[in-house]
Amino acid sequence: MANDKSKKSKAFIIISLILLLIVIVAIVSAIGSANISVLDVYKVIFSKVPIINRFIDTSNISNVQYAIIWNVRLPRIILGILVGASLSVAGTSFQGLLKNPMADPYILGVSSGAALGATIAITARLEYIKYGFSSITLAAFIGAIISVFIVYNIGKINNKLSTSTLLLAGIAIGQFFTAIMSFLMVVNSNDMSKIVYWTMGSLSGKGWAPIKTLAIPILATIVILFFYSKELNILLTGDEAAKSMGVNVERTKRVILVLGTLLTSLVVSVSGIIGFVGLIIPHITRLIFGPDHKILLPCSAIVGAIFMIVTDTISRTIISPVEIPVGIITAMFGGPFFIYLLRNKKKMV
Amino acid sequence: MSIIELKNIEFGYGKTKVLKSIDLNVEKGEFLSIIGPNGAGKSTLLKTINNIFDEYDGNISIYGKNLKDYKRKELARIVSFVPQETYLDFEFSVEELIFMGRYPFQNRFKTDTINDYEICYKAMTLTNTLEIKDRLITQISGGERQRTLIAKALAQDPKIILLDEPTSHLDINHQIEVLEILKELNKTKDLTIITVLHDLNLASRYSDKLVLLKDGKILKTGSAQEVLTVSNIENAYNMNVVVELNKYTNSPVVIPIEAKKRKKNQLFPSIHLISGGGSGENIISRLFTEGIDFSVGVLNIGDSDWQLANSLKVKIIEEKPFSAIREETIQKNMELIRTKDIIVISQVPIGYGNLANIQMALNAINEGKKVIYIKNNAFENIDYTNGAATKIYNELISKGMIVLNSIQELIDYLENYKNI
Repeated sequence: MANDKSKKSKAFIIISLILLLIVIVAIVSAIGSANISVLDVYKVIFSKVPIINRFIDTSNISNVQYAIIWNVRLPRIILGILVGASLSVAGTSFQGLLKNPMADPYILGVSSGAALGATIAITARLEYIKYGFSSITLAAFIGAIISVFIVYNIGKINNKLSTSTLLLAGIAIGQFFTAIMSFLMVVNSNDMSKIVYWTMGSLSGKGWAPIKTLAIPILATIVILFFYSKELNILLTGDEAAKSMGVNVERTKRVILVLGTLLTSLVVSVSGIIGFVGLIIPHITRLIFGPDHKILLPCSAIVGAIFMIVTDTISRTIISPVEIPVGIITAMFGGPFFIYLLRNKKKMV
Repeated sequence: MSIIELKNIEFGYGKTKVLKSIDLNVEKGEFLSIIGPNGAGKSTLLKTINNIFDEYDGNISIYGKNLKDYKRKELARIVSFVPQETYLDFEFSVEELIFMGRYPFQNRFKTDTINDYEICYKAMTLTNTLEIKDRLITQISGGERQRTLIAKALAQDPKIILLDEPTSHLDINHQIEVLEILKELNKTKDLTIITVLHDLNLASRYSDKLVLLKDGKILKTGSAQEVLTVSNIENAYNMNVVVELNKYTNSPVVIPIEAKKRKKNQLFPSIHLISGGGSGENIISRLFTEGIDFSVGVLNIGDSDWQLANSLKVKIIEEKPFSAIREETIQKNMELIRTKDIIVISQVPIGYGNLANIQMALNAINEGKKVIYIKNNAFENIDYTNGAATKIYNELISKGMIVLNSIQELIDYLENYKNI
């Protein structure tokens, strides 16, 4: 939209953010108990790239360091990028779609569904691993999808989606599933700490396996959502106005809700419920970059990714060697920062 | 040439019909204003033409093609719509908002073309929004905002433009400015304009044709001279008005004088109503609208029938809240009943507290008054007095109380009363 100048400045913003992300990736992978330099991180990354690896000398890096970078830290960072980007993009899309600043990726009951699924898997002691996914991940994904399916069908009245019914159904089903989960936790009190840890979310110890499977569907979904930015912009002017401008409002809402929820379910089933990212990153990016979804969606993806890997680094180093669930850190740091932004720039959505 | 044809359109939200058997033809290049009192269905009619409400009965065709056969984008290339309330509390610039109008012509994967720029800049020139194009829509005035929305509608390069009260919330200078822009577009671009307008005089001055709506029906279609007559306006708005010819604009001007006063309808007999607990609400409101002279009693203060009658300033014989009817109130009520022609009883539940009410009806029938009972549900138990009430009712019936099944039957009876 608009003129060439603003188009260039938008491209400039996105490229700068990507560069910032690359720098931060190296910095956070160098942080930790093992002594690793930023340069070594780049060397390891580029040594895996065909052709370029001929020019990379990794002789000064020990095998242990190499393994820490490649097998432990990098997959964790990349998972963090995927999780942060997914939650932020889903949150941004939902806030725009529902014109509701309280909307987050979990409004359709993904979080409680996933948590209940995970709880069932944990308490039933299902020790099953396939394609690199634990039974907990699979059960969480199934739980999330079932919960969303129920909420979506309650919110659909006469084949039309009613926003308020949808939000209320999400809350009701969420409470219901959480109650069942709490019941299971009380009955199986031995598993309680494991369940609580899962629900607080973590990126630790997942390795490359989930990334290999999830990266393509996640990235594809994010890209499809980017292509709905025009509709998201127009929907901000109201449903009736959007209809008169030629937007198929019902179909657009369905597509965005389904894609956003799928994205959330995919990451939540691997990482657990990481709160706050999908709520505040969209707001922060909107405060900084304005309401145009063409720039807002890519920016929130990158900012979400950066926020996620930084908070994850804090979570694994702040009281090392004990690791804190990253969901705690996102809320601890995100909350006050968000309030600061609100106080400073009193304009929302 | 008629480019929009509405045949027998019926539409309702839920059970209430908002549009009733609307027939309307709009010619190419016409400036048509839809006028009428609040709740007449003006905005609904406009939105139905734009296929925003797609569950109407009847047939709408635009350029000879059934509205329901249009794809949304296809329709948006022909018809654009300026809604009354647009939520503009997000920080797009004026230019960004106007460019959204190009959506129906654009592919998901392409950005704006030279053609898009040309059309949008032309729209901005025509609406004088070029100089404010970089301002945020949250920071412009009401008049600028309305011009921006019209520019966005023009960016759709439409043949027909629909506007829902484009001049509401505007000062008179901005009202005229907006309508002048529309008139100019209408003349120079041969754009067909259909707009809802509250202001009869602006509608009269700028439109080729007016449609006067009342209660979802078209009361009159035609030129300003044909539609804005004293009888039409009085009928639609329930106002006493004077219509003059404006010597500056040569269009009829409507001057409101006063809201019509309710005249007591002398043709009907006078009535005393016995009701309570909401059982008489429909009867009270109908008697009131028919202009019939009537009183109500005895009612406890705060009862829902009391509240309605009180708000309509109907004469009430009242009793303290939640108390049984006292002897002195009975005296007052009987005196009032003696001045009336007919006593009407609604299907009110009878307990010991209000048993005196029907006892008084029995006294009245003994004194030679007519008593009418309006039954609305034959199976509802209304006797909470262990048979005392039923006994009185049986006596009333034996003495000639008339039992009717609806309020309409009562009105029919009253209309024929003098003849009887």
